[in-house]
Amino acid sequence: MDTSEGTVIGVFTCEQCDLSSPYTFYGQKPPNTRAIVLLEECYGMRDPFNPEREKFLVLGSKCCLCKKTVCVGTECSIFYTKRFCLPCVREHLEQFPEQIQMELAKKKTAKKM
Amino acid sequence: MCDKRGDTQEWDWGSPQCRAQLDEVFFRQHDYIQARGAEHAEFWTFFERFQRFKAKKEMAGSREGKARKKGATGAADLGLPKEYDPRYRINVSVRTRDVEDRLEGSRRRTPTGPGSQEIAECRLALLHFLDFTQKQSFGKLVKLRREQRNLPIFQYRDRILDLVRNYPAVVVAGDTGCGKSTQVPQYLMSSGFSHIACTQPRRIACISLAKRVSMESLNQYGSKVGYQIRFETSRTPATKLLFLTEGLLLRQLQQDGQLSRYSVVVVDEVHERHLHCDFLLGVLRSLLSQRTDMRLVLMSATINIALFSSYFGGAPVLQVPGRLFPIQVIYQPIPPEEQASRSEKLDPRPYLRVLQGIDQRYPAEERGDLLLFLSGMAEISTILEACQTYASHTGRWIILPLHSTLSIAQQDKVFDIAPPGVRKCIISTNIAETSVTIDGVRFVADSGKVKEMSFDPKAKMQRLQEFWISRASSEQRKGRAGRTGPGVCYRLYAESDYEAFAPYPVPEIHRVALDSLVLQMKSMGLGDPRSFPFIDPPPASSIQTAITYLKQQGALDTRGELTPIGRLLSQLPVDVVIGKLLVLGSLFNLVEPVLTIAAALSVQSPFLRTAQHNPDCSTARQPLNSDLGDPFTLLNTFNAWVQVKGERGGGSRKWCRRRGLEEQRLYEMANLRRQFKELLKSHGLLEEGGQDRVSAEGRAQRRERLSERQRLHQLHREHQLQEGRRRKVLRLDEGAEGPSSGSDTDTPPSASKDQEGAANSMDIQEVKFKLRHNVSELREAACASADMSSRQTALLRLLLCRGLYPQLALPDEHNATRKDSEQVFHTRNKQGIVIHPTSVFASDPEVLHVPEHESSALGAGKEESSKHQLLAFVTLLETNRPYVSNCVRLPVLQALLLVADSVDSNADCTRLVLDGWVELGMADAEAALKPLSSALTLRAEWERLLQAQLGHAGPASTSGLGFTGPKPARRELDKLREGLVRFLLYTEVNYSLKRLTGLQAQNLYVGPQVGHSELTLPPLFPGMQSEPDPVKGGLRITNYFTYNCLCDSKDLYSECLRTFWSCPHCDLHMPFTPLERMQHEATCRPAEEQQPEEDPDTVKTAASSSLTRLYHCDVCNKSLNLTSTEILRHKRQHLA
Ligand SMILES: [Zn+2]
Ligand SMILES: [Zn+2]
Repeated sequence: MDTSEGTVIGVFTCEQCDLSSPYTFYGQKPPNTRAIVLLEECYGMRDPFNPEREKFLVLGSKCCLCKKTVCVGTECSIFYTKRFCLPCVREHLEQFPEQIQMELAKKKTAKKM
Repeated sequence: MCDKRGDTQEWDWGSPQCRAQLDEVFFRQHDYIQARGAEHAEFWTFFERFQRFKAKKEMAGSREGKARKKGATGAADLGLPKEYDPRYRINVSVRTRDVEDRLEGSRRRTPTGPGSQEIAECRLALLHFLDFTQKQSFGKLVKLRREQRNLPIFQYRDRILDLVRNYPAVVVAGDTGCGKSTQVPQYLMSSGFSHIACTQPRRIACISLAKRVSMESLNQYGSKVGYQIRFETSRTPATKLLFLTEGLLLRQLQQDGQLSRYSVVVVDEVHERHLHCDFLLGVLRSLLSQRTDMRLVLMSATINIALFSSYFGGAPVLQVPGRLFPIQVIYQPIPPEEQASRSEKLDPRPYLRVLQGIDQRYPAEERGDLLLFLSGMAEISTILEACQTYASHTGRWIILPLHSTLSIAQQDKVFDIAPPGVRKCIISTNIAETSVTIDGVRFVADSGKVKEMSFDPKAKMQRLQEFWISRASSEQRKGRAGRTGPGVCYRLYAESDYEAFAPYPVPEIHRVALDSLVLQMKSMGLGDPRSFPFIDPPPASSIQTAITYLKQQGALDTRGELTPIGRLLSQLPVDVVIGKLLVLGSLFNLVEPVLTIAAALSVQSPFLRTAQHNPDCSTARQPLNSDLGDPFTLLNTFNAWVQVKGERGGGSRKWCRRRGLEEQRLYEMANLRRQFKELLKSHGLLEEGGQDRVSAEGRAQRRERLSERQRLHQLHREHQLQEGRRRKVLRLDEGAEGPSSGSDTDTPPSASKDQEGAANSMDIQEVKFKLRHNVSELREAACASADMSSRQTALLRLLLCRGLYPQLALPDEHNATRKDSEQVFHTRNKQGIVIHPTSVFASDPEVLHVPEHESSALGAGKEESSKHQLLAFVTLLETNRPYVSNCVRLPVLQALLLVADSVDSNADCTRLVLDGWVELGMADAEAALKPLSSALTLRAEWERLLQAQLGHAGPASTSGLGFTGPKPARRELDKLREGLVRFLLYTEVNYSLKRLTGLQAQNLYVGPQVGHSELTLPPLFPGMQSEPDPVKGGLRITNYFTYNCLCDSKDLYSECLRTFWSCPHCDLHMPFTPLERMQHEATCRPAEEQQPEEDPDTVKTAASSSLTRLYHCDVCNKSLNLTSTEILRHKRQHLA
């Protein structure tokens, strides 16, 4: 059963929120997933919460602008055809569609409250 | 739902056929999600929701569409698509080009399959589904990490790791809720330590911690984190962190004194001061000086920390504040009229008031469970019953018991969740005080009592007594209410009581019998137990008591060193008496039943107490009962169960239920039995059997067996995957049945539901059972021991008696005239014992009475009979009365002559005193001598063969003795067995039986007699000097038999004691004194036995050395080499 765990390559740590976890693959192709391809280079591991083997969990990737490693949590980054850390999104907010602008604005007010 | 666009005429998303066609594209074998997998079903459910959501969005979106376009900015240096699409938010794609192309080809021929539109829709939904599952799991990870960070101990992570790297021993002290038990092992693991052992005082904690920690370390479905308890382990070669019991780590130390398989040992809950823990600390302390690479972490509540630190040479202490919410303490002392007297049941009213109070004061929507601490199992079942009535009345409570004797599945229930508006009430022993942590407890009710086992060395009796808890325990219990939020603690005692509590509990090492501890210390070569540097040394007297006991039991020799039998016993994880029984059984052909009985006596009784009052259960149990004694009832039960398992497999659960049996215990027996068998084999005490059977097995059969095993392994794996998926929500009637409840076990409505729920757990038990055991082999063994002849059962009873000795009790002489419920028994040291109500002799005491027509009255109270019986028992436990349980009955005379440590006689051997407290009187001197003489011969032979067997036993035991003798010949064993059986069954001597009072016992012996000191008789047995006994007087013939030392004794050589007797073997006919006759009988063998054909050398040397000896005759002043008989003849020559 442990062969499917994969060997730990290193520890992934989000530069935004400090979330960390060991990762077992990096790239666009999680192991043993056949037709599945990721649209960015990701840090990932076997999904620890799924009893089935060979389910993966993407932990995070690098922001396409500032190259910081960020997790996929919505507090740290968004994916919109590419990965952007939230500070970079804010910096270029006008280039993002309205939906995303509104989302961020909501997040800000929610945080202030 | 039907899509009418495109070239598909009738595409129905709901139809299984349509879905199956898409399954061919996206969910093939080897795909990430596979048709018929759990996620596949989830996908299609998701798909429906997604379609609905999309349809709604489209309707709303058509109006906003234009406005959005206007808002989009022109400058696009990030190259982002101008039009928003949620699809751009997903970082996954699914490539199925290959399949689609093929599909396209076939579609040209038969245009019924999904079109590109459908495929695109399905793909989109799949992408969203994958994104959704990713978010779900990632959310769990975030939550987990947040919880870990929020634990008070998290701040100290680096500090702890620093200390562990730099110091051999570190103390981490933290209160409940600081997270030390779950986090410290993880910190160690994640910082690179990879062979970590973490001990726990209780098995249940090993399992629950391993589960929790493997989940937290993201290895829930792997085996990096494992546990190991007596029969169960989840450990694999990949295991880096192992939770195990303190006892088990000690066993490992016994095998590998360096403990080289671990680099870090974490000892948790050291403040609980269990016997094993205190001992473990002592051993680890000395190990640390040898293994400088090893690290030791002690974890404790903030109790008495300085003690541990200073014991380890001033080990650094890291104190972590607990995270406790404020807890309101309410003292509700029990009013005097509700306080139970010693014999009464607990009054449930004070406890019910707590439940009622909660119902009145707190709205049902405010969640929060109640944890109720009681002293013991009996108390739990009393209160459980009352609370259940209240619960079924109000519908607001689910009542669950929690104690260590519940099965794991039952214990697990306390972690399940109550439905909304309902609270759990967990009624627990102090097991929930520290080790078992239940989330969601807001209320604690504390009885302030605990039941603890203490040991009375004088009566050699366990005592289960109720005590007030200590202030430390009281605070621990209270703390359980404030783990998840502010809580309330109801103390059912006064504040002044609390002030008067002792500060800490008494360490176990000061309370219990130390036999096993001393034995283990001896086997680990730790020298004199009295000088072992315990953290808090036990009183020297209790170590002395243990040493004396072990010497008595033959486990230690006179110098206090381990004997071969002692070495073997030290490796058996059972009581000394049970271990002895195993060794004795291995000598004769009785291994199978002895294994079963030894296992049965080492686990809790499978008989549910509640079922006793159920007439259906009693009737169904009837055929299993044996009036020979409880071990035989257990044997019958196990054998019958094995038969049922062989025939019906999983049907055994129902079979057990009907008989009021806890099947878990039977599984435990099967496991323990197997462990015993392997131990005996590994010590050469048991022939490796069954090999010819295996080779005779055909290839086809073997293949079948292998595939069966594979199937079972598969089932087992599946079960493990399912396990721990999520907590179940409890049903309202949960806990309304079950072993410790007072209600009927077979109430139909709940029982049928329970069976359904239990079907899974039964299956897995069955699977584990079949994986572990060769069922057909077990059945054969069961068959063999089910058909035991009366001769075999007689021998088995004798083995039990010898194994259990000195745990013997005599019935009171007036029992025949008493009511069944008032039968009284006495041991040597304890009077007025009763039989435990579960015993067969409690329900059927007549089998112990001397039949009236058999006895001949000889005046006042002196009833002569050949039918007197005694009980050998496994436990003597005092609760509110002293009870014996697990008894077997035996004829008094035969049993005592064969096992007693001291046999004293008068001159003509018509009066015998055994072990200084049982007096037997025989009117017929001629008849009296016969059994005594036979017993002396049988015992000598038994001892010789047993020593030979043990001397032959494996390397572990021979090293202690330094010789390997010949294995006892089967012929000799058969003869001994025959002799013992005949002695036990066919000795017909009428005798009177009397227990001696203390005063009588004091004035028993004539005392040393100066005049006779120069008189020495030839030894009765080779190598044994018969000499005047310096204390009792008379002659010490063997190490247990002293002749003519009783007060009414006559002159040793008085001619009037001589009577004519002819030896049946050598035809010698002449007048003998009793002693001379016994000497002759001991040495004279029938002619045909003197020359056994096999192995003539050994026998001959043995024969010559045992039969002749150097005799110096004073009359003719010659030294002669004669046998004892020849010496007698020679002497008579001079007399004549
Ligand atoms: Zn982050
Ligand atoms: Zn960035």
